[in-house]
Amino acid sequence: MTLDSYLLLSLVLFCLGLFAVLSHRNLIAVLIGVELMMNAASLNVMAFNRFSVADPATGQIFVLIIIGLAAAEVAIFLSIALNLYRMRRTIDVEQLTELQG
Amino acid sequence: MIEQGVQYLFVGLVLIGGGMAALSRHVLYNIIGLGISLFGLAGLFLQLGSPFVAAMQLLIYLGGITVAIVFAMMLSIAMVLNPPARTPIKTAFAAVSALIFGVGVYGVLSKATFASAPPTAQEAWGVGQIGYALLEHYNLVFETLSVVLLLAIIGAILIARPDRTAERGENAA
Repeated sequence: MTLDSYLLLSLVLFCLGLFAVLSHRNLIAVLIGVELMMNAASLNVMAFNRFSVADPATGQIFVLIIIGLAAAEVAIFLSIALNLYRMRRTIDVEQLTELQG
Repeated sequence: MIEQGVQYLFVGLVLIGGGMAALSRHVLYNIIGLGISLFGLAGLFLQLGSPFVAAMQLLIYLGGITVAIVFAMMLSIAMVLNPPARTPIKTAFAAVSALIFGVGVYGVLSKATFASAPPTAQEAWGVGQIGYALLEHYNLVFETLSVVLLLAIIGAILIARPDRTAERGENAA
């Protein structure tokens, strides 16, 4: 596979993630969409790292840092979701409108 | 030939998993789709010459993050059992905006040309090189990431813990 096909695959994955974030009502499904988008970014970085960079260690470290930050993000996101469920008995994003202006 | 087949298998896994994660209405299928997609991406990372990142993808994403999401889904089970119907207008707007984004980025991609690097030596892809680079050039990033992870864990515990003082107050009253 060439660089272009990897970039196209990553674009498709990112669009799927964007659709999931915008269309789902469950907070956890929204989180899954965010994860898909982050993985599309990782695939992009790895493809550029393979095909157009002279030093291959940098891109791999970049992806490792993306994975670590995703772990931190998921921990915070899930604890917020659990707290919301405990307080409101729902994690439907359309009902969580108290901060609406 | 076999290598090509394996590559297409991984691409198929990524796309099928991504489709399941994005399109299915049941959260459990979303999570399974995310797992399939992450597995396929780990295979693609292997194809791109980086077994270490592929292993980390399997360990942290598939082993850690997916399990954590399943755990949170089980604790908020009511939403899973009765998923409310989607409004078609919202779905249509979501699809249209994802499509607009995709077409726009594809338009940029198809016109861009990227310089190709000279092929690097096989040793440059090893775990040893990543270790050296991590401790020599990216020392600060490495340490900052560890502090961020520690803070995230403590913050997650603090947020998710039930409010003890309120309970004590209710018991006293």
